[in-house]
Amino acid sequence: MRRALLLVALAALALPASAFAHASLKKETPAYGQELAVSPRQIVLQFDQTVQALPKSIQVLTPDGKNLAGSPRAVTSQRELVASLPRLPTGPYTIRWQAISNDGHIVSGVYTFGVRVKAPPVTSAVGAQGPTHTEDIVRWLYFVALALVVGGLGFRLLIVRGPLPPRAERRFFWVTGIGAVSLLQVGILTFLLRGEDMLQLPFGLFWYGDLSPLANGTRFGQTFIAMTLGFVLVTAFLYLSWLLDIVWPLRVAFALGLFFASGLSLSGHSAADAGHSWVSELADWVHLTAAMLWVGGLVMLLAVIWPAAPELRRTAFLRFSRLATVLVACLLAAGTYLSVLRFPNVHDLWTTGYGHVLLIKLSLVALALLWGAAHHFVAAPRLAAGDSGTFVGKLSRSMLGESAVAMAVLLAAAFLVNTNPPPQPTPRAPVAAHAARR
Amino acid sequence: MIAGIMPQAEFVHWWFATGFLMLGLVLFAEALVGPEVWGMRPWRTYIWPGLCFVMGILMWPVMTFFTNSAIHMVAHGSWAEVLMLCGAAELGVARGKLHSQYWRLTSSLALIVSGTAFLVHEQNHWLFARAAFLHHTLGWTALVFAAFPLMLALRPRSMFAASGFATFFIVLAVLLYCDRDVAPIFGHLSQFAGPPHR
Repeated sequence: MRRALLLVALAALALPASAFAHASLKKETPAYGQELAVSPRQIVLQFDQTVQALPKSIQVLTPDGKNLAGSPRAVTSQRELVASLPRLPTGPYTIRWQAISNDGHIVSGVYTFGVRVKAPPVTSAVGAQGPTHTEDIVRWLYFVALALVVGGLGFRLLIVRGPLPPRAERRFFWVTGIGAVSLLQVGILTFLLRGEDMLQLPFGLFWYGDLSPLANGTRFGQTFIAMTLGFVLVTAFLYLSWLLDIVWPLRVAFALGLFFASGLSLSGHSAADAGHSWVSELADWVHLTAAMLWVGGLVMLLAVIWPAAPELRRTAFLRFSRLATVLVACLLAAGTYLSVLRFPNVHDLWTTGYGHVLLIKLSLVALALLWGAAHHFVAAPRLAAGDSGTFVGKLSRSMLGESAVAMAVLLAAAFLVNTNPPPQPTPRAPVAAHAARR
Repeated sequence: MIAGIMPQAEFVHWWFATGFLMLGLVLFAEALVGPEVWGMRPWRTYIWPGLCFVMGILMWPVMTFFTNSAIHMVAHGSWAEVLMLCGAAELGVARGKLHSQYWRLTSSLALIVSGTAFLVHEQNHWLFARAAFLHHTLGWTALVFAAFPLMLALRPRSMFAASGFATFFIVLAVLLYCDRDVAPIFGHLSQFAGPPHR
């Protein structure tokens, strides 16, 4: 065995020293996101290893898709690709590049820069496509997973504070664990789909596409990094709590979950669109968190308490009913503020796509609220009075219905996140405004 | 800002190689003395699964910060997940939270997934370059050695199976130590290694 091991080690060490990985773009001139005062004379892409040029290795595209780059060539020990440029007029530009890596793979990428204007984000590069319906569904799955983790943890710590029966405890860890793992998987899928929109490459070439401009140069990418790492920690603390039968890691996981959920608020409409401020970001986070706690709590009642802890049904339902009232108040207050902010005119509600989706969402929210109100004002007093038997079974089915509506609300929210809100009116110049008043 | 503080990929590979070497040595020690002697100090049973779990957590930053190709991202993500899964299952068994011996099959699954990730993301043939050779070697090593944890799940006291499993991590460590150019760190040491690429 030892001799075999030694042979493997020697064989690996003796092989010629070519690079292990594909070529990576080390430096680009002009740089990604750069706003230039004068037109560049050439594009230089510097790689970390030797590359070969392809006929369209460098394309410099105008907003209408016209390529202005000259024929690309590899220089400086084959580690740089260079393409000459004519004098570029003022405007934003997209660079799409491709090169044959040392290991034979074709590596590709895209980035943007501007001449006397701000460079657009890479997700708005020429040829890039907006979010598809697949991304809407994936975003919905992300919301559901987030609700299972954050809402599940909130339910365990705020509603059922004491020890759970072993069967219910096991179910709790299964549900939140599935949520945590799904969150990581769906997060990666979301990032890859957005990368695919940006790169617009055939499936085989996409896998060697450079996603670093998306990861490092956009709010979406930075959020992906922070939320992935944050929810890895949440998963680890959740696991630690299960392994050692201790509660404090759950508290840490809950706090981390609430904190990192803010990534969605810091990268969405509330943080990027016109009129955004820290108040809009905070309102978005409150809206999101309240929704997650509400939906996750409903799922916990249905999947954990009802089947596995019958003795806790009454207490848990009554406590959740009280918490849900607060959550609904937060949800409505933050949602109303955000709607006012995003709709400069009331008629935008029925004349824009964003308005249509919001109307559908509001209808579903109204239905869910009516359902919740029936639970609060009819079911809770009966349960508090000690009514049981067939009523408990009916309540379980009713909660299933409310959960289904809540999931539909999340689906509408996912569509809303990926849709552009109506444009804000451009502020008039003071002189013009004065003249208009006169 | 992140680019300024990111360690070079070579160092990251060597750190993980060191982690796998430690895993292999701990598993070898356990295989040599047997599970009874090894378990006389209870904390010892947590060493390798704990290390495996922590290495899984540490693999996530590699996945998120090295995004220069989608395939690397997916491959690093899958390694992070299986390392965490394997460590978590083994910790559960060691702690007594999981009772079935078949949870140990997660180690086998981890090796199969890891090996497949290596092979799927290498599209060139074996002798195209050292890169291709090492990808194929790493992939097939993981797939072949997946038989050992499988054996271990069925025969927990088998010294042969335990040694085989430990050997995998040592082979993996050696291959990982070799898989990056030394040139970016130490310069181009010899012309026998061919023309410099980096």
